[in-house]
Amino acid sequence: MNLRGGIALIKGTWASWMQYRAFFFVLAFGWMVPPLVSMLVWSAAAGADGIGGLSQAEFTAYYLILILVNQITYAQSNWTMGDVIREGGLNTWLLRPMPSIFNVLASECAGKVVYMAFVTPVAVLLALVLRPEITVSPDRLALALMSLCLAWALRFLWGYWLALLAFWTPRADALLALQDALVFLLSGVAAPVLLLPGGLQTAARLLPFRYMVGFPVEILFQNAGVGEILSGLLFQVFWLAAAAVLCRVLWKAGLRRYAAVGG
Amino acid sequence: MPESLIQVEHLSKVYRVPEREPGFKAAVKSLFQPQYRQVAAVQDVTFQIAAGERVGLLGPNGAGKTTTLKVLAGLLYPTRGQVRVAGQAPAQRSSAFLRQIGMVQGNKSQMIWDIPPLDSFQVLREIYGVPTAAFRKTLDELVALLDLGDLLTRPARNLSLGERMKCELVASLLHRPQVLFLDEPTLGLDISMQQRLRKFISDYNRQSGAAILLTSHYMADVTAICDRIILIHNGRKLYDGALGELSERLAPFKLIRLALANGTNHEAPDLPEGVKVIEKEGSNLTLRVARQDAPGITSALLASLAINDLTVEDPPVEAVIDRIYQEGSVA
Repeated sequence: MNLRGGIALIKGTWASWMQYRAFFFVLAFGWMVPPLVSMLVWSAAAGADGIGGLSQAEFTAYYLILILVNQITYAQSNWTMGDVIREGGLNTWLLRPMPSIFNVLASECAGKVVYMAFVTPVAVLLALVLRPEITVSPDRLALALMSLCLAWALRFLWGYWLALLAFWTPRADALLALQDALVFLLSGVAAPVLLLPGGLQTAARLLPFRYMVGFPVEILFQNAGVGEILSGLLFQVFWLAAAAVLCRVLWKAGLRRYAAVGG
Repeated sequence: MPESLIQVEHLSKVYRVPEREPGFKAAVKSLFQPQYRQVAAVQDVTFQIAAGERVGLLGPNGAGKTTTLKVLAGLLYPTRGQVRVAGQAPAQRSSAFLRQIGMVQGNKSQMIWDIPPLDSFQVLREIYGVPTAAFRKTLDELVALLDLGDLLTRPARNLSLGERMKCELVASLLHRPQVLFLDEPTLGLDISMQQRLRKFISDYNRQSGAAILLTSHYMADVTAICDRIILIHNGRKLYDGALGELSERLAPFKLIRLALANGTNHEAPDLPEGVKVIEKEGSNLTLRVARQDAPGITSALLASLAINDLTVEDPPVEAVIDRIYQEGSVA
């Protein structure tokens, strides 16, 4: 490991990205729109009686938090990995005495800071206008924060192994678009997972996508039982481990191929 | 004999290149049944390079120069043969190995695009774990050698190509590598910038004792920097030795350029035996003579003709190299 080098790289990348903050603000706004639309639809539908144990104000709270979680876990750096491999930028990374994933993590961390600088004030403003309601116990909050870290790692590594397929096929980023679509559908963006109809809800519980965005938010709400939370955390850890193994295997195999055919 | 810094034994590198016939049917077929062709980029190449040597890797496009360099830098695995650089196998890309090498690619950048070079250098300092004092010292030296001055604080994207190349060189040298690989370092630069970089590379080599392996299409790069050349053609090594010797072996003649004085018979001057006129323009003549006859013929010319000016030259290296490319061997 080379932690000092990694931290320096994050700082450098961040400074570089600040030059483009307007561009990233526009991107971040784009990512906010789907949950924002869902929020308006669901809080209108909930009306005075609420739906599935959630009141109108709770739906607002759910989606406002979801907007933040979605932003924190969105791994934008995986989108550029394919270009780095195809265009030979990887050579520069490989020549340095530092694991190459640090370069991706650096843009990931740097990006987070830039995005959050935009999204946080917007979310606060929305909260002031829309008056969400939520009561959270400290232990649920702690679990949610832990789950949030796992969610970020899972979403990043899941996208990373998909991006690494660029070693073999030129347009691996199509799979990233598919991942985004499945996250929208199954990760509590279109609707909270516990409100999804039968078959879809089962799929959401089994597949990794719920554990990338929706699950840490669900933990904060009382309609998610303790058993639900514990099994969810287990699924989250399982998928994270699977993604980590896939990344490692694909990186090694990909690098062998890269070094065999030339970058 | 001490171990060479770079040891290459019987290196071969074979690429598997996908290929298909033109047309839609062939495109569909290649999806299910891809066809590959083996392309040998480097074949059975052996050489050693000692510390402090400046070696030019020469060859036409596609000769295998860059492939060889990439194998030495650990970016490509050798198909066959043994490669050791600074005592390590490059393909393993160990941290110990990567800290010993530096590589500049004329067509790739290692700077972070939107921040000043100085910030990029700081990042590299941390990555390589260079102590602050040593970093300052190296940077000051490099800045003075390359005359970087105020470039360091401008965003990299605002630099001209030549300015950026200077910074690329600095970036590759901050950790004081023992081995420096330069792949077309003067690509696209103007003449004076080329000369600056050449001088810098030679100076750095003298100061640091680092071995330098350079590929270039510009003969001037090689003649200015390298004391030894390795000539590669179609993946095979054709020649390994001093540049001067290559000309002697390949071109065993010299060129005598004459400017005849007014009043001399320009049309049919009286020339000694064994002289061939290869160019004639007014009173200026270019003669080709056998290398060993050059002194005798020169004095005979001076004695028999009224001459304004006379020079004796080696044939241009480009002509020598071009002959090898055409013939595919060093006779």
